[in-house]
Amino acid sequence: MKHNNNPLSPHLQIYKWQISSLLSITHRIVGMINTLAITLICFWTLFLLLGENNYEIIKIFLQSFFGKFIVISLCWTFSFQILNEIRHLIWDLGYGFDLKVSKITGIIALVGSFVFAILFYLIGKNIF
Amino acid sequence: MHKSTKKWLFTKFSSLILIPFMVWFILNFVSIYEKNYTEVTLFFIQQPSKILFSMFIVIAFFFSALTISEIFEDYIRDEKIKNVANKLLNIFAIIIPLITILGIFNLSQ
Repeated sequence: MKHNNNPLSPHLQIYKWQISSLLSITHRIVGMINTLAITLICFWTLFLLLGENNYEIIKIFLQSFFGKFIVISLCWTFSFQILNEIRHLIWDLGYGFDLKVSKITGIIALVGSFVFAILFYLIGKNIF
Repeated sequence: MHKSTKKWLFTKFSSLILIPFMVWFILNFVSIYEKNYTEVTLFFIQQPSKILFSMFIVIAFFFSALTISEIFEDYIRDEKIKNVANKLLNIFAIIIPLITILGIFNLSQ
C-alpha cells in the first residue's frame, strides 16, 4: 500500500458551516490550545524552582486583567474539550449517531462548555 | 491487533482517564493561580496534588501526542516530513512532563 497516495482531509474552506463541522474544527483547535496551555503550566511550575523573587513576575502577570482573561479562557477550553470528549466517547459506544440527536448533543456541548467554564471558575474561586 | 486499532484504543482510554484529571486540575488551578509563592509551592509539594498533577501531565501529553499525530496524518502528505514531525512530537511529549515532574520533586527538597 502506497501511503503517499492517501487522500488528505478536506481543508477548512471546503466545509459547509454547520454545528457538526463547527464543533469538529473547534475541538481540534481547542485541543492544540490546551496542549500549549499545559506546556505553559509546566513552565509555570518550573518557574517555582527559581525562587520567590523571580516568581513575583509571574504572579503580577496572572493577577493582571490579561492573566485573568487567560485563566477564564482556559476554563472554557477545558470545559469544551471535556464535554466534546464525552460526546465522542458516547459515539464510540454506538449511541447518538442520529442526525437530530447529533445536532442536539452538539448544541449541549457548545452551550454547556460556557456554563461549565463559569462553574469551574466560581467553584475554583470558592464563590459557591 | 492492528497498529491503528491499538492507537485508537489508547486514544480513547487516555481521553476517558484524562477527563476527571482535567476537572480536578482546572478547579485547583483557578483556586491557586493568584496566590503567593509559598501557597503555590505548597500545592505542588503536598500529596495528593503532587502525584495527581504528575499523572495529569503524563496522561495529557500522551493523549496530545496521539491526537496531534492524527492531525499530521490528515494534513501532511510527505511521509518523511510526517515521520520527523511525529518523532519531534513524541520527544516533546516525553521531555516536558519528565522535566516538570523532576522539577516538582526537586521543589519539595
